[in-house]
Amino acid sequence: MSSPVLGAYGISFSYGRTPVLKDVSLELERGEILALLGPNGSGKSTLLKAIAGILPLKAGVVRHRGEDFLRNTPQMRARAVVYVPPDLHAEFPLTAREAITLGRSCHLNPGTFRYYRSSNDRELVREAMERCLCWGLRDQDLHTLSGGERQLVALARALVQGAKVLLLDEALSRMDLNHQATMGKLLRELTTEGSSIVLVSHDVNLASEWADTGLLLRKGQSVAFGPIKTVLTEENVRKLYPGSELSVGASPATGAPKVFFGTFQS
Amino acid sequence: MLNKRALHAYIFGLFAWALAIILSLKFGATSDADIGVIVQLRLPRVLLASAVGIGLSVAGASLQALFSNPLCEPYTLGISSGAALGAVFGASLGFHWIFAGLTGTAFAGALLFTALLFVVAHRPGITTLSLLLAGVMLGFLGSSLVALWMALSDANGIQGALLWLLGDLSRARMGGALFTLGTASVLTLALWLRWRELDALLMGEEGALTLGIAVGKVRASLIFTIALLVAICVSASGMIGFIGLVIPHFVRRLVGSLHLRLLPLCAIWGAAALTAADVTARVLARPYDLPVGIVTALVGAPLFLWILFSRREAS
Repeated sequence: MSSPVLGAYGISFSYGRTPVLKDVSLELERGEILALLGPNGSGKSTLLKAIAGILPLKAGVVRHRGEDFLRNTPQMRARAVVYVPPDLHAEFPLTAREAITLGRSCHLNPGTFRYYRSSNDRELVREAMERCLCWGLRDQDLHTLSGGERQLVALARALVQGAKVLLLDEALSRMDLNHQATMGKLLRELTTEGSSIVLVSHDVNLASEWADTGLLLRKGQSVAFGPIKTVLTEENVRKLYPGSELSVGASPATGAPKVFFGTFQS
Repeated sequence: MLNKRALHAYIFGLFAWALAIILSLKFGATSDADIGVIVQLRLPRVLLASAVGIGLSVAGASLQALFSNPLCEPYTLGISSGAALGAVFGASLGFHWIFAGLTGTAFAGALLFTALLFVVAHRPGITTLSLLLAGVMLGFLGSSLVALWMALSDANGIQGALLWLLGDLSRARMGGALFTLGTASVLTLALWLRWRELDALLMGEEGALTLGIAVGKVRASLIFTIALLVAICVSASGMIGFIGLVIPHFVRRLVGSLHLRLLPLCAIWGAAALTAADVTARVLARPYDLPVGIVTALVGAPLFLWILFSRREAS
C-alpha cells in the first residue's frame, strides 16, 4: 500500500471553549479527490483550515509525505499545499491578473526585486487563467467581478501557486452550472497530473459526482470515512440530517450516489 | 515592471516634484532674495518638505496594506500622539533639545509609544484588528494628555504647541533636513524591500498566510519600521495631516496596489505634494508663515472626496 500524500490524525480544535472538532482523522492518496461532507456547522471548513495551518490545532498531527506539516514555515507550506478560499477579497484596487500573480509569491525569496512577471511566471498565469476560463477577466478589478467569477480567479491562483495538494473550501459554490461542470472536469484532470484534492461542499450531490472518497462530519465528529459509494448510504446520511425525509439513489448517468431530500408520495 | 501608466506616473511625479522645488526656492517671504538666503533658509526647507512627504506617504501606504484598511494613515497608530506629548511637554518646560534637527523630546515620546506598540504586537495570538485598535487607543491616550497639558499651560505654551500640532516646516536647518532625508530614505527602502509581503497582505491576514507569508513576524517588523519612519517625520515637522492618507490612494488610482510600483511612486508624489503645499503656504500668507498642515488639510480634504467619488462612479 502506498503511503498517503496527506494525513490528518486525531485532529481536535475549539473556538475558545466551544469544541468544534473532536478527534477527526483522514488520509488522502495521490491522485484522489476527498469530499468533506456534513450539515452547516459540522466543522468541514474548520477541519480544512486546521489542515492548511490557518487555525492552530488543539490536538492531532498533520502529515504531508510523512513529515509533520505544520512545523514547516508558511512559505514551505504554501509550496506544498494550497488553500482555496470561498471568496477572494481585497480592500484595494486589484485586477484579476494581479490577484493571480500573488500566487507566485511563495516562490520568491524575501527581499528580492525579481518581479512575479518573469516570462515563466507570466506564462504560468496565462495558462492557469485560460484553464479556469477567466483570461477574459484579466484586467477587471476583483470587486467588479461576480462571486462565481471571483471563484474562477481563486482557482486559477491556486494552480499558479503550484502546490500538489489542493484544499477547496466551498470553492465552486457560487459558479453557474456550466462553470461548475467545467471546473469539476478540471479537478479530475489535475488529479491525473498528480495533484490530490480535498474539497468541502454543502452540496452533497455535486461533491459525490467528483469525489473518490468521502468523510462525513456531524457536530465535529467523524461519522464515516471511506470510498464515496460506501460512505453515502441512507443510514449514514440520515445521521447527518436527523429528522429529514431523504433517500439515496444512484445517478442514472454516472452511477454516483445521490441524496434526494423531501417526502415523496408515491 | 514598467507599463505605460507607471511610466507616466513616474514622469509626471518627478516633473511635479522638480517644479515644486524650483518654485519653493524662488518664492518666499521676499521675492528678490539673494543666493545666501536661498541656500541657508529655503534649501533646507525644501529638503525637509521632501523628506517628510516621502516618509508620510510611504508610511501611510504601508500601514493601509498592513491593516487592509483604506482609512489608515501614519497617525492612526498613535505614534504621533506620543511625539506630540513629548513636544508639548518639552516646549512648555522650556526644554529645547534639538537632536539632528528633530525635536528631541518629541522623538523620545514617539519612540516610547513605538516601543509600547511593539510590545503589544508581540503578544501571542493578537489579531491585526486588535493591534489596530490598540494603536488607536494609544493615540487617544496621548492626545488627551496633550489637551490636559495645554489646558494647564499659559498662552505662550499654547501658541507653540498649536504651531507644532498643525505641522510646521519653518524651523528647518541644513543638517537636520539632510538627516531626516537620509533616514526617511533608508526606512523607505527597507519597506520597499518588503513589497512581496505587503502585496500578499492585500488579501488580508488569512490570505497572506495561505500565500506563504509568516504574518506574525512580518507584521511586527513592518510596524517597527513604519513607526520609526513616522517618529522621525513627526519630530522633524510636527503633525502634517492628509499627505499620508491622500497620496497613497491617489497613486493607487494611477498604477494599482502592487507595492513594487506603489511605494516608490508614493515617495515621489508625497515629496512633490508636501513641497508644493509648503510653497503655497508661504506665498499665501506672505510675509508671514502659515503652518503647512493647514494647507495640506484644506487641499487634501476635497481632493480625497474627489478620489472617493470618482472611484465610486468607476465601479
